[in-house]
Amino acid sequence: MTNQPLSGMHNIRTKRHVSTGQRFAVGVLSSCLIACGSDQPDKNIPALNQTYPAQPGGTMISAMPSDPSSMIGMVAGESASLAIGAYLFNSVLKYDQNLDLTGELAESWQVADDKKTITFRLKPGLQWADGKPLTSADILFTWQLITDENTHSPYASDYQLVTKAEAPDARTFIVHYSQPFAPALESWASLQVLPKHKLAGQDIRTTSFAQKPLSSHYYQLKEWRHGEYIKLEKNPKSVLGPANIDHLIERIIPDPAAQFLELMADNIDSMNMDPITYARIIPSRPALQARLNQYKELGNSYTYLGFNLKRKPFDDVRIRKAINYAIDKQEIIDGVYLGLGITIASPYKPGTRWSNPQLTPYPFDPTKAKQLLAEAGYQDSDGDGIVERNGKKLSFEVLTNLGNKQREKTAVIIQRRLKEVGIETHIRTLEWASLLTNFIKPGDFDAVVMGWGLGLDPDQYTIWHSSQQKPGQFNFIGYNNPAVDKLLEQGRLEFDPEKRMQIYHDFAKVLYDDSPLVYLSAGYGLTAIHKRIQGIMNPVPPAGVGYDSQKWYVPEPLRRTQIQAE
Amino acid sequence: MLNYLIRRVLWLIPMLIGISLISFFIMHLAPGDITSSEAAFDPKSSEESRQKLRELYHLDKPIIVQYGLWLERMVHLDFGHSFASHQKPVFWAETDKEGNTTPGMIQEALPITLLMNIVGLLLTLTLAVPLGVIAAKKYGQWPDRSITLFNFIGFSIPGFWLSLLLMYWLGVIHPWFPISGLHSLNYAQLDAWQKCQDLFMHLFLPVVIPAITGLAGVTMFVKNGMLDVLSQDFVTTARAKGLSDRTVTYRHALRNALLPLITLIGLSLPGLIGGSVIAETIFAIPGMGKLFYEAVMMRDFPVVMGILTIGSALTLMGNLLADLAYAWADPRLRRGVMPQR
Repeated sequence: MTNQPLSGMHNIRTKRHVSTGQRFAVGVLSSCLIACGSDQPDKNIPALNQTYPAQPGGTMISAMPSDPSSMIGMVAGESASLAIGAYLFNSVLKYDQNLDLTGELAESWQVADDKKTITFRLKPGLQWADGKPLTSADILFTWQLITDENTHSPYASDYQLVTKAEAPDARTFIVHYSQPFAPALESWASLQVLPKHKLAGQDIRTTSFAQKPLSSHYYQLKEWRHGEYIKLEKNPKSVLGPANIDHLIERIIPDPAAQFLELMADNIDSMNMDPITYARIIPSRPALQARLNQYKELGNSYTYLGFNLKRKPFDDVRIRKAINYAIDKQEIIDGVYLGLGITIASPYKPGTRWSNPQLTPYPFDPTKAKQLLAEAGYQDSDGDGIVERNGKKLSFEVLTNLGNKQREKTAVIIQRRLKEVGIETHIRTLEWASLLTNFIKPGDFDAVVMGWGLGLDPDQYTIWHSSQQKPGQFNFIGYNNPAVDKLLEQGRLEFDPEKRMQIYHDFAKVLYDDSPLVYLSAGYGLTAIHKRIQGIMNPVPPAGVGYDSQKWYVPEPLRRTQIQAE
Repeated sequence: MLNYLIRRVLWLIPMLIGISLISFFIMHLAPGDITSSEAAFDPKSSEESRQKLRELYHLDKPIIVQYGLWLERMVHLDFGHSFASHQKPVFWAETDKEGNTTPGMIQEALPITLLMNIVGLLLTLTLAVPLGVIAAKKYGQWPDRSITLFNFIGFSIPGFWLSLLLMYWLGVIHPWFPISGLHSLNYAQLDAWQKCQDLFMHLFLPVVIPAITGLAGVTMFVKNGMLDVLSQDFVTTARAKGLSDRTVTYRHALRNALLPLITLIGLSLPGLIGGSVIAETIFAIPGMGKLFYEAVMMRDFPVVMGILTIGSALTLMGNLLADLAYAWADPRLRRGVMPQR
């Protein structure tokens, strides 16, 4: 995941490209809306600020930018499908509000002493929406389905490490691994369990279950107009008890400006915002602002400037550090994200267990940068403002993907700061597939501005381990450090959260000293939700705004009359 | 005539194969495939699974083999399944064992786009013909100038910008029209008349805005045609006969001026199945334009090829019909006396 995913239940952003036309459209609209001044005052504002007791019923309408292709997210491998699937299907485990693991279908789980076997004990009385029991056989079936060669799930690799899975009775599910694998627990928190009695014997690639699923979670699919909207209806037989809101409607509105107009017209209750909407457009419209709650939360992703470590001069740690000191990250956050981001010092979300609190982001220090360049033998001997060593200028190319305006602007700011310490850079923007196929995969680049979106488990083996450098794998910068390799291997073997935490703190420290890439910023996810939706956890828990959304409710006096008539 | 017809229909086959071959190769010239989308760049997915997917879709085979496999399916009119939306057929609906139907992607998008484009074309014509005639009749006077000015303003305004302004004005400030989407959320509960109304309201802005911005070309075409015709001898003759100005303009001049317009409309027929990406994106309408654009961005080859094949087949059919009409009108053509067009 490379965009900026917003955490929480509205975390529905696909990775499709947005045309420059659309981006431009948003810009034009934004400037117009800032200029246009206030809209009509809303008579209901006093009522909106009142808190009502929780009550079932009502409808909530949200916007998402693209239509899921299927309701079986584990097979479709696409974020919109997974996001809708999260309303429909349960997983064995889940993360609680503090991002610690807890049971969802499982009431308890046990890791054997040799750490190679995990036994899950399921809650009693689980059932599907059609009344059929949900048993360990369904979990076993889902595991078989995901790991089946013919399913072609992009997420199969973690599940393929299971050497044997068994369901000795309806409430027990046991998995065996050939060696301890700590991220396994996260994988059992992300597997969306599918009903065996509906899917057995079906061809997973063509089954109509992908369009008409049977669910076990809080909601079930009521109507799906492709490319228009998805209507979810409360599942009265939900294994975790019924949700409050009767209907959830996801309208598919690709253009952010159109989403915002729908929000202004009160046709949708919630949307994800970009920084300009949050920081400029909504504050300039008090009447709109008065009926919205706005949420800001750190996403699990960051933007970075990554070096091709196999190329000179990036094999020299002094050069990497010099570049790190020469870049003003706060300036990028202020300029590109309108201040809606933070600087980071490790590849983990600050404030979580895995983030090492002893590390502070590299400060902006051009003097130190110049000093490091001089130590590495770079001097500006011909007076053209660019430093050289042995007559060779320090000059490189920065690649980023076309259409991601934030990254393009970031690259320009970096270019200017690096020029000030005597480093010449050329920016090149490329369409995503071309960047990936022609440059990243063959390793033919100097530096890139890209992003990583991360899961909740701290394991980052695929990004940093030296064995993951083959074309198409994710350690494309060619990072190779035996100390890091060892820590990553240890982290995969250790189940104890405290010990794991120490391992990943050490890992982040080595990365910090090595500076294989420059962490630029971690952006906030921004969500606006109409005040008629109440019961949202305040303050926002680490798990995000969307945590416990089944407890949200729409008080009767605040419901939309039109939709209510349905 | 029959011989000519058979010859022309048979000639379509190599043409279609040629077009599809070129499209197929050009499409594969673009770097990347379905496994190099931004979504696939997820540290949780493995290169191994991506390689398996490439093998499943034969993307690891030489391009000519891939084309052969595609052609083999097309002979049975099988458009295949989308790579990106794994479980959706590209064109025809499919029914599984339990009798549940999954509609085809083009099958869903095509009627929407056709409806919008046909209504839009009719609207453009109803406005452009009278405007063109007035401009020609009052050539150089204020009606002509104001029509020209209006046309050029419409032509110069970026469609998406006008769309957003009108969405804001007619959707938010005065909520007369829905802002985006194609159906209201309670569409299923409406009766037939209300459904028509609902569709009309949703399609009003997306149809009217491109029609206005596209007006300029057709109006100028009609105006210039009229100007040409009005200066010809037979018009003078008609006037000399003492016919009323109305009869001269509409019965004699306009009919002649419209002939080239019919060619223009004929040429625009294949374009009816292609939607506008920007309009469809802004108004959140799931039409052909968005389908095609997203398929290209995702390197979803079966969908891209499906749309291109249908488009080229329609273009060839249109050409064939036009040629048949000419041949019917002109015996020299079908006897091969004149070089074929």
